[in-house]
Amino acid sequence: MSRGSGAGYDRHITIFSPEGRLFQVEYAFKAVKAAGITSIGVRGKDSVCVVTQKKVPDKLLDQSSVSHLFPVTKYLGLLATGITADSRSLVTQARNEAAEFRFQYGYEMPADILAKWIADKSQVYTQHAYMRPLGVVAMVLGIDEERGPLLYKCDPAGHFYGHKATSAGVKEQEAINFLEKKMKENPAFTYDETVQTAISALQSVLQEDFKATEIEVGVVRADNPIFRSLETEEIEEHLTAISERD
Amino acid sequence: MGDSQYSFSLTTFSPSGKLVQIEHALTAVGSGQTSLGLKASNGVVIATEKKLLSILVDEASVQKIQHLTPNIGTVYSGMGPDFRVLVRKSRKQAEQYLRLYKEPIPVTQLVRETATVMQEFTQSGGVRPFGVSLLVAGYDDKGPQLYQVDPSGSYFSWKASAMGKNVSNAKTFLEKRYTEDMELDDAIHTAILTLKEGFEGEISSKNIEIGKIGADKVFRVLTPAEIDDYLAEVE
Repeated sequence: MSRGSGAGYDRHITIFSPEGRLFQVEYAFKAVKAAGITSIGVRGKDSVCVVTQKKVPDKLLDQSSVSHLFPVTKYLGLLATGITADSRSLVTQARNEAAEFRFQYGYEMPADILAKWIADKSQVYTQHAYMRPLGVVAMVLGIDEERGPLLYKCDPAGHFYGHKATSAGVKEQEAINFLEKKMKENPAFTYDETVQTAISALQSVLQEDFKATEIEVGVVRADNPIFRSLETEEIEEHLTAISERD
Repeated sequence: MGDSQYSFSLTTFSPSGKLVQIEHALTAVGSGQTSLGLKASNGVVIATEKKLLSILVDEASVQKIQHLTPNIGTVYSGMGPDFRVLVRKSRKQAEQYLRLYKEPIPVTQLVRETATVMQEFTQSGGVRPFGVSLLVAGYDDKGPQLYQVDPSGSYFSWKASAMGKNVSNAKTFLEKRYTEDMELDDAIHTAILTLKEGFEGEISSKNIEIGKIGADKVFRVLTPAEIDDYLAEVE
């Protein structure tokens, strides 16, 4: 059918193109890559670790304010890759939602329910013309009482899945290839192995060694389910362990 | 709905009288993973491919076949996120019916209400049509029923149907194999064989999903172990 897309607005708002695609959603994915960083998440036997680059573009910036790792509740973390402003908006809403959940239902919001909420919100932006999709890929991590460590990834299209390991950002595909090889035999990583797999995956796809101050690492563990960001010294230890291993 | 700044419909007629946004939505459905359904004499089966993007995805976290009520289940081809929205709305409608009439909603009524929602999104301001076709399988006082609902909001009752990438091969296969007096287990075997027809790669309990409902009026998604048993019988 050669009639074309009618008014030609299929690239400006989220209506279908003749091939049945949503261009605005696809452009949102490109915006995630344009942010210029790569993030990795790995789920071990009893812990989850997420790692992302920490690029401070200006020496005058306060380094501590440049972060993509956000606690949503004490026990849930969110790693946002993409447009910073969109990430902050999403995190603020997620924090509100998680707090209301705890108040309404009397127990902590599980990671997968939060991921579903984020994904359902993202779906609304793909169907209603008045709001554009967010240029953010969110990785949600937490320890679930019954199911153990959980790692979920939500994207601008409204998809969300649980992952054994995953990646987002510029080098997403290279990282996923690397992680697929590592996770092929369904290994049950310990906490240290989980963190080191995540960090070495980032090192491998970026093909450079980085300093402890150039990455952010967030973890949750079954024996300490509080989400926390690792200190520089702890990151140093892991980096040293990785280089000694090789 | 009807978003305030967008008080005009995005789906409008072309000069030849077509609603092109709906046609594009159907194209989106046609590029989705294949799913199908069969109505047997004593039940209904629905099935779908479950191909995930990477082995890193935890397939236990994904379930494409969903309950709408204890005796009605559904599956889709097309855009997963849109499907979730429809499932949520349909479940609410079913509950509202139950609360009002103290009776479980008949399959035809639920299908009609879901289809109405889909039609509204082709006419309301500021929204696009849903990029999914649904297969709704249920068993109520009128017996086993299978309905297909399209992005336009139109729905039909089917003895057997398929949607998604492999729709034409699947429908041809079903037309040959379908018989009116099939029993549920035969229908499940036929469903598996139909999926196998266009399947890329090795079919297994990890990359398909099957849901069934019988005279017990309980819709159930089969466990991977049960799928393995049926796959073995089909070999």
